[in-house]
Amino acid sequence: MGNEAIILFIILGTLMVGGAVIFSYLVSPKVPQKMKEDTFECGIETQGSSRIQFKVGYYLFAILFLIFDVETIFIVPWAVVMKDLGMVAFVEIVIFFFILGLGLLYAWKKDALKWE
Amino acid sequence: MGKIIFYILAMAILVFSVMTVTSRNILRAAIYLLFVLMATAGLYFMLNYNFLAAVQLTVYSGGVVVLIVFAVLLTARMDHKLEAVGSLKSVASILLLLSGMGVVLWAIMGYSFVPNGMAEGAHDVKAVGMSLLSYGSYGYVLPFEVISVLLLASMIGAIMIAKRYTK
Repeated sequence: MGNEAIILFIILGTLMVGGAVIFSYLVSPKVPQKMKEDTFECGIETQGSSRIQFKVGYYLFAILFLIFDVETIFIVPWAVVMKDLGMVAFVEIVIFFFILGLGLLYAWKKDALKWE
Repeated sequence: MGKIIFYILAMAILVFSVMTVTSRNILRAAIYLLFVLMATAGLYFMLNYNFLAAVQLTVYSGGVVVLIVFAVLLTARMDHKLEAVGSLKSVASILLLLSGMGVVLWAIMGYSFVPNGMAEGAHDVKAVGMSLLSYGSYGYVLPFEVISVLLLASMIGAIMIAKRYTK
């Protein structure tokens, strides 16, 4: 992966995102109406600000996601070299999974995974 | 060619860092920080540190920014805009910034960077995995297992704290 890949990535990314936005802007029919600017076209009128204090449950899910995210990062180099190291690497990752599995078990038992 | 990309990435990092600290809306500051972290991942890709770049993208711009955004959403007054900084404060912070920049520049300029002819060490995912899982010299298998204990501790701590508030 060198500079050419980054250039190609930047160009393709810009073209794909920008192209989709510009293309849909060019071909879409436009009939402006007041009602279309509402948050919801039907149903009850919205009240107050949408910036409210969120439940702590969201934060719990975010932090659990981050922890398993980090875990995944450590599995990737293991998966690359697993065949070379053989049984040793397997035992090591089993211990790794066991300790983290305890955490998952704890979260399960404490109903942290349940949405209240 | 590499220089052009470096300057583009450095420019993105600089611009979005300044926007992060100057933005009055705290949620927008978090999103600008996301762009800074992504541009940093671009720098890692330029240096061929593919694994580090992947970590940067998944953990930092994927996880930490989500965590920051959720932490902001947890605060009661998140639509509260930061008030403008007074002139005395801005003068003081500019002075502080310049002195900090002076120290850093003095340290960098005083050091003469000479290529020492040493071969670049292997730094692909395979090398990382090898040293992470081997238990000989330069093997990091104990830290590797301790990481799982650390993750377990942070998970249990988060659940303990969050559960106390939901009950």
